[in-house]
Order: sequence, then structure tokens, then C-alpha cells
Amino acid sequence: MKFGALLKKELSQLLNKQAIISMVATLFIFIFMGTVMNGTMNKLHEDEEDSTWSEETGGSISLVNCDKGEFVKEMFEEMKKNNTTVEVLSEENDMAAWQRIMDEKELKTLAVIPEDFSEKAEKGEEPSIKVVTSVTGTGLSNMIKDNTGSVSAVDAITQYLSDKKLEEKGITKEELEKLNDNVSLVEFTSANGKIAEVPSSAVSGLVMSMSMIMPFAVFFLLMMASSMIMSAISTEKIDKTLETLLSAPVSRIHVLGAKVLAAIITALLNAVVMMIGFGFYINGASGGTISSAVTATMSNSGVDVTEAVKIADGIAALGLNLSGSTIALIFLELFITLAIGLCISLILGALASDAQSLQTLLMPVMFLVMIPFFVSIFMDMNSMNIVGKVIMFIIPFTHAYTAAGNIIFGHTGMLVGGLIYQLFFLAAVMYAAVKVFTTDLLFTMKLPESKAAAKKTK
Amino acid sequence: MSVLSAEGLTKSYKKGINAAENITFSVEKGEIFALIGPNGAGKTTTIRMIATLLTPTEGDAVISGHSVVKEPEKAREHITYLPDEAGAYKSMKGIDYLNFMAGLYAKTSAEQSEYVKRAVDMCGLGERLEERINGYSRGMIRKLLLSRAVMSRPDLAILDEATSGLDVLNALDIRKTIKRLAREEGMSFLLSSHNMLEIEFLSDRVGIMSEGKLLLTGTIEDLKSKFGARNLEEVFEKAVSGEVSL
Ligand SMILES: Nc1ncnc2c1ncn2[C@@H]1O[C@H](COP(=O)(O)OP(=O)(O)OP(=O)(O)O)[C@@H](O)[C@H]1O
Ligand SMILES: [Mg+2]
Repeated sequence: MKFGALLKKELSQLLNKQAIISMVATLFIFIFMGTVMNGTMNKLHEDEEDSTWSEETGGSISLVNCDKGEFVKEMFEEMKKNNTTVEVLSEENDMAAWQRIMDEKELKTLAVIPEDFSEKAEKGEEPSIKVVTSVTGTGLSNMIKDNTGSVSAVDAITQYLSDKKLEEKGITKEELEKLNDNVSLVEFTSANGKIAEVPSSAVSGLVMSMSMIMPFAVFFLLMMASSMIMSAISTEKIDKTLETLLSAPVSRIHVLGAKVLAAIITALLNAVVMMIGFGFYINGASGGTISSAVTATMSNSGVDVTEAVKIADGIAALGLNLSGSTIALIFLELFITLAIGLCISLILGALASDAQSLQTLLMPVMFLVMIPFFVSIFMDMNSMNIVGKVIMFIIPFTHAYTAAGNIIFGHTGMLVGGLIYQLFFLAAVMYAAVKVFTTDLLFTMKLPESKAAAKKTK
Repeated sequence: MSVLSAEGLTKSYKKGINAAENITFSVEKGEIFALIGPNGAGKTTTIRMIATLLTPTEGDAVISGHSVVKEPEKAREHITYLPDEAGAYKSMKGIDYLNFMAGLYAKTSAEQSEYVKRAVDMCGLGERLEERINGYSRGMIRKLLLSRAVMSRPDLAILDEATSGLDVLNALDIRKTIKRLAREEGMSFLLSSHNMLEIEFLSDRVGIMSEGKLLLTGTIEDLKSKFGARNLEEVFEKAVSGEVSL
């Protein structure tokens, strides 16, 4: 009963009118930003197609050719006459070989002419080209599709096919444009060192949703819960209500527990609202690929079921991890991170004795939470130098942001290392927090006086 | 049996400096005991140890049979504490604050509403209890907190500078209430105050503290005759300045 009363009091203080208004306002800002981003990203996709080849001037293309047929040979020769250099990277019809080539040449995309290209073209059927796109990391850079490599090849081939049709059938250019593409594209994805037949947008969508939306949720929860718990504690000190409360016949652990629980409940509530908003935002930023990919992979309702199963199979073939135990691991990670954040805020909240020192104390926490979040989103942490990596690794919150990516791409060492480090860190801050709250430290602990403040008092 | 008996209470915030040293005294049932002494004498420190907020560096205090060191939670069931310069939750209405605090002391909801009713009658805030504490004056908050401190009829109410911030009439009113609660309902009080008039009016016994030590305790009459003083102010002056050897 007493715990209930304590919890109710904390909740009513956290969920006041202003808090709810600001929550709704933030939601609208995200939705607005998402709409704006959607526009700009769509434009970006349109402008993007700066290939190394053009109809007028020719250029160079590189591809894998698995077709020994005459049609393709002829096509290449014809292309060379029109100022187009064709580099055949390989003739092996083997996904592992393609992967090797992409790794060696650091290709983002690769066009592959399949075995049956000539056959189909000669029969007058629509031939296909396989396009492999690699999904390597978890950062924002993966959101912007970079197709230049394959686009050039596909453009050149399409152009050749349509020119040929023009010649043979004598139809006009206008009539031709009404016809559909002369070639169909089959999408493949390279990830985790493997290649499978699955649209890269589906894979990157999935990776994104795990490696960006998840960190965002952690980021948001941490920011919210930490600042709330800090002010919940320090406000009692600043407003001089703490001593009265703690002299009542309730245990300090209950008082503390009610505060922590109320902060978590409020933060979760906020996080749900923000996730909805951020979903809009990210969806806008990625030009809509994410939501379609996620719905396609995550649910079987409303979308083509066979398509969804195919995508799920493809993702499994890539060896990307998304089992139940993985998700449990992600939640464990989330929980530990949140606990660390709360313990640190408890201690700092107890240190603050006025509104100003609360602000001062809030800053470093916010930075520790924010810096690794933005680094994880805008940079690939694995490509940082050793000093940068070590600094990032020391910040306990980093591991929450990288966990999903590490799990998906199977970087088990990083994942387990991070978890163990976090557990030790948690044990330390938890010990410190309990120490502060069950001893006199709660009342006697003070910030070391700054030089400026010391001067003033003199 | 004493409601409170403090035995050798000692507290040092920094090693080597005792803010309170070897404090020994007791408060009987229905008795009003006041700690007086200059600023920084250690009154608040002593009181906070008794209110279980600070752990004594040495010594112990027993409240209604419960040691503040060994069973602080049990001890807290028998006391209320009104800190010097205390505040109340600003976003709450006065009445909600009373309800919340009563909920922490009451064992049943009937008891809770009984406490609240008593506090409402006593605080004299009337209609204004429906307003948020945000808009209360210092004196209004003090009256709210004082009525909170006595509404549950604890064995021992600990009031640090009980009437600070109150005007003459309100202070007088509060003093009468405290005295009535002690005489009629047998509640005990541990007070600290800088107001000698108040202490003379209220206390049965006083303890004079200086530099962390409890110099002496006794009834006001005893102390006056011992120091040959006309009033408590003179007693205080002589005791603290060390003019008269104790
Ligand atoms: N949290 C603390 N940390 C360190 N020293 C403290 C702390 N609180 C009090 N002290 C010191 O302990 C001594 C006794 O202080 P205390 O507050 O008990 O005095 P007091 O008798 O209540 O004074 P006042 O009449 O001004 O309220 C003082 O020297 C004070 O500086
Ligand atoms: Mg004091």
C-alpha cells in the first residue's frame, strides 16, 4: 500500500501536463521531419544515377559474364565499337566467386549476366540480369543506395537490346519507349560474406530497423529515464522534502524503487510515442524502403505471402541472425544499459544540491549517451582507428548501440566482450548507488566546490 | 520508560571533528524537551541522528524501545520529523500532500482519513488547502508541515525550529497546540529553537548545546537558579560563554 502511494506520487509528478504536451509536440516534429525527409530523399534517389556510361559518349562498364553464348559475345563487340570498354570481371557462375570479386574491388554493386541470357534473347524472350548489392554495415550510409557500378552495366545492356530491337523490327523510338524494359532485373544481396537472392532493400531495411531503431529506442529511453531520475532525486533535495520523506516509516529502498519504476514507466511511455514518430522519420529518410521491407519480412499479413517467405529464406541464407535467442540477447543488452544509466543518474541526482548543479551534472551524462549514439549512426565504428575504438568501448552505452549490428553480422567477440564489460560496470555503479542511498552519503555528499563559487563565498 | 533515550550520540562529518559529541539525554512521555545553543552547535546533527537520517559515528538512541541504529524502520514508526527549512511538493495541492503523508503513517485507510481530518482542522488553511502548494507563503507551508507532523499522534514529534517563519499570532497558536497535545494526549516533543520566549513557554526541560557538546540539561527553573539568572536568555549567555563553570 505504501509503495503504491509512493509510486503514484512519483508518476503524478513526472506525468504532468507539460510533460504530456512536450511528448505530443515531439511526435509531431518527427512526423513533420519525416515528411520533409521523404521529399528530399526521393529527389536524391532521382539525382543519383551518375553512371560511368552514357548513351551519347559511351564509357566503361564492368560485370560478370556467365553466358558463353554468341548473343553476348556479339553484344560486347558491338558495345566496343560504340566507345564502350567492357571489363569482364569473371566468367564463373558461382556466388562465392562473385563475393570474392566484390570484396577485392570493394564494389557496392555488381551486375551478372546469367547463363541463359543469350538463349532467352535469341528466342525473343525477355532476358534477365542479376544485380548483387552488398549490405555491409549498420550506419546511415547504407540507407542511400549506391548502384553506380551495376547501373552502368544495366543501362548499357538495355540500350543495346533496344537498339537491336529498333533495327530488327523497324519500330520507332516512341513506340519502343511504350514497351516495358527489355531486360528484367533479379535482385541479390551480399551480406555477411554470402550472397543470396533477396532484394537488398529488404536486408538493409531489416538491418536498419534493428541497428537504428533499436539504438534510437535505447538512446531515447536512456535520455528520458536518466534525466527524470536525476531530477526526481535532486528535486527532493532542492525543495527540502527528502528528509521528511525518509523519516517516514517507509524503507529507503521502497522510496528509491518507486522513483526508479516511475521513471522507467514514463520513459517507456515516451519511447513508444517517439518510436512511432521516429518510424515516420526513418521511413521518410529511407524513401519508404524500410517499412515495406520490415512488413515483408516480419509479418505475413497484407503482403504477398510467398514473397515474404522468399525474403525470409534469403535472409536466413545470408546467415543473418534473427532468432528468438538473439532478440532475448538484445533485450538483455537493453536492460543492462538502462540499469547502468539509472544507477549513474541516481548517484548524480543525489549529488545535486541546487538547480544549477543539476544542470552541470546532467551535461556529462547526456554527452556520454549522445556521442556514441551519433557515432554509431553516422560512422562505421569498425573502421575507426584504435584510439577512437577504445574510447568508444569504454563508454558503456556504446555497446547498446552496436549490439544489434554485432548480433546480426555475427561479431560475437565484440558482443560478448561488450556485455561482460557492461556487467562489470553495472556491478560497480550499482554498488556505488546502493552505498550512497543506504548511508549518510545521501545527505553529506557534495559536489567539490568550483573555484569561481569558492571565490564568491569569500 | 523514556520515549527517547540518547546514549553517547556522536557524529563526525569529517575525520577528527565531531559535530555532535557524546550526547546523552532522555525525553519522557508527555514531556517537551528543547535543545538550545548557538548556530553550528550541533542541534540539527543530533536531531537527524535521532530521526534515523544520519547514522551515529558512535552511540545510539532508543525510541519507544527501538534502536535507531539497529531497527531504524521500526523506530521511524514512532516518530515524526519536521526539518528546519523543510518544503512540500510544490505541484501538489495542500490536501493531497496531507493525504500522501498520512498514507505513509496510517495502517488502514480509516486511520489515514482520520489523520488528514485532524491536520485539516489544525493547520487553519481552510479553503486554501485546495490550492497548489506552489502558491503558498512560507508561513502557510510551515503550518501545513506542522499539522502533518502531529496528525498521526507519534510517540515523539521532532521539530527543528518549529515556528520559524511564522508571525506572532500564528506562532502563539502553534505553541498552544503543542502544549495541549503534550498535556492532553501525552505526546512527547523534541524541539530546537533560537526563540527563548518560546522555549520558556513550552519546554519542561532544556538541553544547552555548544560546539558539539551537550553542556547541561535541566528544567528552566533549575537552570535559572543555578546561574542566578532572571530568564533563559541569561542562562544561555552564561552557559555558552563559559562564564560560569558547570
Ligand atoms: N553535511 C555536513 N557536512 C559537513 N559538516 C556539516 C554538515 N552538516 C553540518 N555540519 C557541521 O556540523 C556542525 C553542527 O551543525 P548543525 O547543523 O548540527 O548545527 P545547529 O546547531 O543545527 O545550527 P543552527 O542553529 O545554525 O541550525 C557545524 O559546524 C556544521 O558546519
Ligand atoms: Mg540547525
